[in-house]
Amino acid sequence: MIPNKGSEASLIKKITSSIMIFILCFFMLFALTGCLGAREINDLEIVIGMGVDKDEDTGNILLTAQVVKKDTAGRTSGDASGGGDGKAFWNVSSTGDSIFDAVRQVTHKTGNRLFISHNQAVIFGNDIAQEGLQEYIDFFLRAHEMRPTALILVAEDRASDILDAKPETEKFPAMNIAKLVDTYGFTSHFYEVNMKDFASCLMSPTTAPLVPLVSIVQEKDCMDIYVSGMVAFKKGKMIGKLNHDEVRGLLWVLGKVKSGVLIVPSPDEQGKAVLEIVRVKSKVTPEIKDGSIVMHIKIKEESSLSEQTTAENLATDKAFEKIQEATAEVIRQEIMAAIDKSRELNADIFGFGEMLHKKYSSKWKTLKDNWDEIYPTIELDIDVETKIIKTDLLKKPVSQSEEEK
Amino acid sequence: MSIERGKINSQQLLFLIAGFVQGSILLIDFTVGITEHQTWMVILAGLAISAPVILSYVALAKRFPGMNLVQINDMVYGRFLGKAVSMYYIFFFVMTLSFNIRDVGELYVTFLMQDTPFIFFLVVFAATCAYAVTKGIEVLGRVSHLFVVTGLFVIISTFILLIDQMDFSNFLPLFELPFIRIFQGIHIVSIIPFGETVAFLMIMGRLNKTEHAVKRTFFGLSIGALSLLVVAVRNTAVLGRTQTIWTSPSFQSIRLINIGTVLTRMDFLIGIAQTVLIFFKCSLFLYVLVVAVSQLFGLKSYLPLVLPLAGIEVIVAATVFQSPVDHAMITQNAGIIYSVPLVFIFPPLSLLIAKIRGLPKFERGKET
Amino acid sequence: MFRYIFKKIGYLSLINKHMLQNTKPGKNNNKPISPDLEKNLEVIKGILHSSDLAVHEFNFGHDRRFKGALIFIDNLADKKEIHKNILQPLMYDALLLPMDMDFTQIDTIWKSLISMTDNVKVTLLGDLLDSLLAGAAILLIDGSKEALAIKAGKRDARSIEEPGTEAVVRGPREGFIENVNVNIALLRRKIKDTDLCVEKYVIGEKSKTDVYIVYLRSVANPKLIEEIRTRLNRIKIEAILESGYIEQFIEDSPYSVFPTVSNSEKPDKVAAKILEGRAAILVDGTPFVLVVPMVFIESFQSVEDYYARPFFASAIRIIRFLSYIISTLGPAIYVALTVFHQELIPTQLLISIAEGRERVPFPAILEAFLMLFAFDLLREAGVRLPKPVGQTVGIVGALVLGEASVQAGLISPIMVIVVSATAIASFAVPAQTDSGTILRYIYLALAGIAGGFGVIMGLLATLMHLASLRSFGTPYLWPVSPLNLSGIKDVFIRMPLWTMSKRPKAISRNSSDSCNQDPGLMPAPFKKGSNDSK
Repeated sequence: MIPNKGSEASLIKKITSSIMIFILCFFMLFALTGCLGAREINDLEIVIGMGVDKDEDTGNILLTAQVVKKDTAGRTSGDASGGGDGKAFWNVSSTGDSIFDAVRQVTHKTGNRLFISHNQAVIFGNDIAQEGLQEYIDFFLRAHEMRPTALILVAEDRASDILDAKPETEKFPAMNIAKLVDTYGFTSHFYEVNMKDFASCLMSPTTAPLVPLVSIVQEKDCMDIYVSGMVAFKKGKMIGKLNHDEVRGLLWVLGKVKSGVLIVPSPDEQGKAVLEIVRVKSKVTPEIKDGSIVMHIKIKEESSLSEQTTAENLATDKAFEKIQEATAEVIRQEIMAAIDKSRELNADIFGFGEMLHKKYSSKWKTLKDNWDEIYPTIELDIDVETKIIKTDLLKKPVSQSEEEK
Repeated sequence: MSIERGKINSQQLLFLIAGFVQGSILLIDFTVGITEHQTWMVILAGLAISAPVILSYVALAKRFPGMNLVQINDMVYGRFLGKAVSMYYIFFFVMTLSFNIRDVGELYVTFLMQDTPFIFFLVVFAATCAYAVTKGIEVLGRVSHLFVVTGLFVIISTFILLIDQMDFSNFLPLFELPFIRIFQGIHIVSIIPFGETVAFLMIMGRLNKTEHAVKRTFFGLSIGALSLLVVAVRNTAVLGRTQTIWTSPSFQSIRLINIGTVLTRMDFLIGIAQTVLIFFKCSLFLYVLVVAVSQLFGLKSYLPLVLPLAGIEVIVAATVFQSPVDHAMITQNAGIIYSVPLVFIFPPLSLLIAKIRGLPKFERGKET
Repeated sequence: MFRYIFKKIGYLSLINKHMLQNTKPGKNNNKPISPDLEKNLEVIKGILHSSDLAVHEFNFGHDRRFKGALIFIDNLADKKEIHKNILQPLMYDALLLPMDMDFTQIDTIWKSLISMTDNVKVTLLGDLLDSLLAGAAILLIDGSKEALAIKAGKRDARSIEEPGTEAVVRGPREGFIENVNVNIALLRRKIKDTDLCVEKYVIGEKSKTDVYIVYLRSVANPKLIEEIRTRLNRIKIEAILESGYIEQFIEDSPYSVFPTVSNSEKPDKVAAKILEGRAAILVDGTPFVLVVPMVFIESFQSVEDYYARPFFASAIRIIRFLSYIISTLGPAIYVALTVFHQELIPTQLLISIAEGRERVPFPAILEAFLMLFAFDLLREAGVRLPKPVGQTVGIVGALVLGEASVQAGLISPIMVIVVSATAIASFAVPAQTDSGTILRYIYLALAGIAGGFGVIMGLLATLMHLASLRSFGTPYLWPVSPLNLSGIKDVFIRMPLWTMSKRPKAISRNSSDSCNQDPGLMPAPFKKGSNDSK
């Protein structure tokens, strides 16, 4: 009987010790959470946009971070206007020798580390862009909280001004900019570039990256932000600006045109036919012939007749044919504009160099070294095919011309 | 008398091997730095080179049914030399396991929980592995397919989610890199996911039937290799040129997932997949290590050694390397050199010696 | 593992044996019944000092020359029955029999006079007392060394009702009751087969509870039945008051939070399991019938899945799996995301969570613990109270605790949503509610300590634990792990009944003809050709 009692005692001992361990664990829970890197959500300074400028006085970096104000963020605008200045965000800025230095300097003002995982966009000021982004981009790729999907933009003047302009409908300027860039597909006048895309272009020895350019326009009583085009970089430095049509010319070649409006004169030359781009396919085939480089660009475009300003019924075979020809001409002009610009800047914004690299990898080694001389001499063979595939709700215009009645 | 009584069937062996190879999914991240956009062909070449060697492992296991590597070494090379060879293997197991345990810590410290002390992950992870090992090979075999299915699910779903961001021209030009880099890549790949299956010589003795072992082993290897291949293709197609600069290309490519701004921020998928798969690999390796050590010292049960050895592994993993850079350099350079004889030389050699000396027959007569 | 568990169980049973031996009074239970009636009565009265002991002495036969006595416990035996079927025949009908019949022979009385069926002849005093306490009337005859125990027991039994724990929309409404004999009859009514075996055990030194094993001899694995027998025989305990006692003495892993013995109140469910090759353990005095072996997946299956058509049944089953995941992991994932992995929350959601938590003074982990604790408190209070009051508690709790604490800024609104979703989900899988509740707190603690890493490690450890469990030899995660492709037809979705022609391989006897229906029973519409051939 004694050994049984002993085992009973040991069992009880075991059970009590396991209960003790459990209780200990429970209290450790609260002690441990602190040191294991737990951060309560209301202690976070959620950054949704960042601007990088040059401090005019010292030449240091001036970082502007757009932080969400938690007490007003979720409320309706009526509520928010009751207290404070009615803004849901707080633009906090600091200076530092490097970007990371500036990010940490911000803690003097916020009392908390910045939480930049939700950063939507990084805007570089004009002066920084001209100086070269290469040295500033490292932090945004390396920081573990930065996501490679964050947008990269260049401000026409200062980035902090862009972040200050409060939009009418959105609560946060940075979100507003992200939304503006995201809807590029309706015009194809620019395109969105995220950190990964930009890094990818930077790593290429020849391709010149493009970055959307944001500008401010002063309306009656508010500031409006809009994307005015794109800027081209070469070796990390900003070298020039492309306007909307030039960017679309580039996108035609790359096959990235999603949609957009094409305006061509109507066949009777009385008005205009307005087309919406529906579908675009493009193919670029590089060819090296007798030492000269030819890029064969083949574009197939489909569009719909969305508006017309003439009395002539454009929904006829004959009219279609003429419009299609005119459309092709417009597209060709846009492409030529982009090519002229790129030759002017001597920057390979199309990525022709990479295309040659992929097809003629052996010859590429010799081409690569004097690409700057070769690039302007590249010949182009542009072939545009267009097609109107629908006329939307109308078969005929409202105000028809005399002979058709 | 064997120290493990559990049995596995050949279907479980298939999934064990597949899960084991999938567990090396982080490996791609440091092979990419060497072989860039040609990683996919390096994986295939690595498989082609190591497949015959791995089949020799199966042949060896079939020749010595019911026996593990340490017992085979003892028999083939004699008492002292055999022990020395086994010690060499145990060193290999210790090092490889510590590499893998460290990988988990680095994964979390770099990507998911930056403020947590590194050692915490190692300790908790090793403790969980130790718990799994105490359940024995039978339980590990029983759950193996769940790990493989989880791995495949994540790999395939991320591939599908990223398909609209893929640019297959990133694979061009097909052959660009100097051969020496390709060779280095093939060397790494043939050792680290594939050659490491030499550890299965400790497990194959537990097969209940060896009939389909060859076929199943090969099938398991193929599933594992296919998973690695899909990951390599995904990373290259999505990241293109930039894949060489990231610490973990897989992680960055998953972070790019953005479908209608709803399906985004899917980092947890890869976090789960990599933790779970490395857990499986580490549990198997810890099991192998523990059994090998207890066999070497002639213990009756391996259970008392599980926790001490797991503790030693944590210490090794935490102290041997100074930084992830150091870790990658040691694995890429030293690691694949000292494991060459273990992976490519000893097993076929044992098979040859066994054939010449007619060993298994002699032993079978003794047993019955 | 097994050995370790057995050893543990061994300790417990040894302790019990030790206690029992101390308390048992040293009685001479093996003493035979003496032929002297007076002496017997004296001895019995001496042992049972009880005022509800009824002793009725009488004379009977021609000339009333035989002396007899009827002993019974007042309320256990039915006086009407005794009067009508024992006393009346003895005192009056005996007169119709020939004069020379010797009524000192118990056999004679039994065969010619007693018009009741459930009789046992006893010769030992101990047996006599056992029968008496079980509700029998004991007939002692002067001059006989034997006594007749006549089961004249009446039993106040509840009528057969729909069980409260397992209500169904479609399916039989009957449920087991406390009377084990009725329960066995209910099972017999479902399975009218000669193979249906009923084995009786009496367990409990004092309670002497009837325990029955019911199984199909041709289907159940003989090893399983043997295992149940040995485990039941090992139980040495004072009293079995409910089947839960048996469950805790025969389960495989007493230290696991997961139950390895299933229970049910529904005869159709138990019958279905018996037909699959499982064995049911019925315990007198409780409507809860134990069924072994149990696999984890069973918790997610309901009888109704098989009565409803497969599409809806499959959808519901997937919902059950999801709700189990929500109920165990919901708060843990919320805490891990908001405390450790904020970068995984969509921006807009993060901003609104942050805004909701702005005034909350507690860390999220403590907030979650408080809410879960409040929920468990409400549930427990609601269950124990009478129904109308219980409902009030629920409403007051939900309104006051939920609404007011959010208003007061103690709890964030999202946490209330998370905990309510968890609470609702936890009721969808009744069989795992216990384990789910415990796991919920464990995962929550892990999430609070180490975020996603903690949760993943917890899940992996749970998986390993589950995979290592066995219930009477059947792996607990069968058929998912070890993988069984024909078994998996009834796991995540419920395939049509006509595809499930094989019995579960890991449970039933491993014979090749283990089919429960003809293969190829897929219903097909009437075909023109088939009519002609007939």
